[in-house]
Amino acid sequence: MKDSRSLDVLIIDDEPTRADALFDALNALGHKVVCHLSDSHRLCDQVSELSPDMVIIDMDSPNRDTLESMAAMSRSNPRPIVFFAEKADDSESISAAISAGVSAYVADGLQTDRVKAIMDTAIAQFDAFHSLRTELEKTKSQLSERKVVEKAKGMLMKHQGCDEEQAYKTLRKLAMDRSQKLVEVAQSVIDILELTTLPNAGKR
Amino acid sequence: MSIATPEKTALKLGFVPLLDCAPLVIAREKGFFATEGLNVVLSRESNWANIRDKVSFGLLDGAQMLSPMPLAATLGLGSRPTPMVTGLALSMNGNAVTLSAELYRALSPQLRDRPNPAEVGNALKQWISTLRTKPVFATVYPYSCQHYQLRYWLTASGINPDTDVTLIAVPPTQMISTMHDRMIDGYCAGEPWNSLAQQCGEGTVALTGYQIWPDSIEKVFGVTQHWADAHPNTHEALIRALVNACEWLSHNDNHAEALELLRLPPYLDQSAIPLGQSDTVLPIMQSFFGPGVNCPSLSHAHLMLEQMERWGQWHGGDRDQIARQVYRHDIYSKALGLERFSQHA
Repeated sequence: MKDSRSLDVLIIDDEPTRADALFDALNALGHKVVCHLSDSHRLCDQVSELSPDMVIIDMDSPNRDTLESMAAMSRSNPRPIVFFAEKADDSESISAAISAGVSAYVADGLQTDRVKAIMDTAIAQFDAFHSLRTELEKTKSQLSERKVVEKAKGMLMKHQGCDEEQAYKTLRKLAMDRSQKLVEVAQSVIDILELTTLPNAGKR
Repeated sequence: MSIATPEKTALKLGFVPLLDCAPLVIAREKGFFATEGLNVVLSRESNWANIRDKVSFGLLDGAQMLSPMPLAATLGLGSRPTPMVTGLALSMNGNAVTLSAELYRALSPQLRDRPNPAEVGNALKQWISTLRTKPVFATVYPYSCQHYQLRYWLTASGINPDTDVTLIAVPPTQMISTMHDRMIDGYCAGEPWNSLAQQCGEGTVALTGYQIWPDSIEKVFGVTQHWADAHPNTHEALIRALVNACEWLSHNDNHAEALELLRLPPYLDQSAIPLGQSDTVLPIMQSFFGPGVNCPSLSHAHLMLEQMERWGQWHGGDRDQIARQVYRHDIYSKALGLERFSQHA
């Protein structure tokens, strides 16, 4: 019989860095972990084969609905899984999980304190990854944002036949109307103008 | 008519990138929210479970939801019970059953031109009886019209959805590639995933949700009961803005502009671009506005609860009480100033 504290955990996450970090953290706690990195349609089979005690999944994975379906149909399966929040009685840790972008499905009947310890680790890893990425993106985007806005301005000037100041004002107004950042609006302008002017040569 | 001041004006609403998120996008882009004094940010969610969880835990004020979702959340099916309500239906119809090109070819000797669902079902039943393996069908989410319509049609065709076929779940964005890999023989999903399969030759739209349940509410605007109680004026203002967007969408002259707006990067993916060029012969009949479209009808709530019970998702209970608690046509009527007529609804 395996160590009663050790659980089989399946991680579904398309961010390899984050999945690896969580893999290591849970391994260090003595759990047996398997990572599923791709969005493959074999997920149902994999869950049935592995029969994990717990599945940890990135909330933004479309496969969450696949797991929800499995949970709904699992009455007839040998090992029913349920959505973590269905059993947890502590709504604070569920809120923390949702804010961190992590959700979990657990085998029905699993002790909540053991599940909670794993959840806390996952939340910590997701949070750490998030702040790391935010920091990185901030540095990177400050560099590229100016380029994007410049490009959008240029395309607008050509498309609308307006001067630089007018083009900039248009972007500013769009950003305010949509409560978006200037660079986001600039990117949408580029995407749309590139689509509408596809047949034209000499884009750059 | 005097309009009460909204309790909250900065709002975040969730949507899933499908064609029927259009009312939310249009209400924002064409200024219908702004006219009501609301500043709305739209949050794109990649699955239905997120919509339910983020609305339940207050990360979203409200969202586009599958019509059974507020009922399932209230009953605690698949999640902790969170009482939810809907005061507005956003769309009707829009689903279809697509069979793989290979399966449809195999059935076609027994089918006339433009067969009805019963004929397709009969042909499929015969095909299954000659096979050793079960065909695999996919749907997206367990508490959805798509799932119930597929089960309903199979059962009506004398095919047991639990024993004669294998039902699996696949995200909508992966339906066509999964069919291409021959992992599934058919699926029931919303648009544009049926028209797209037909366009790229992977599948054939064999029947539509409209043919199974004509004029069935597909998506609703859902909020928690708690949120609705705390923000009655905001809720009504949102409903008015969304109804105006639905009406705008119903004018053919606006379709080109609507698609242009839906294609904006924050909304639908590039994959949705061919939509609007649907050339399926069968009536998908997706509609956003018209008599009986937007009022959250009790009969639809009853139908959904009946399906949940029939397929063993819900142990059953007082359907009428739950339908009335969740599907709030009184809120709809009040928002639009129709109270005088609502007694007859």
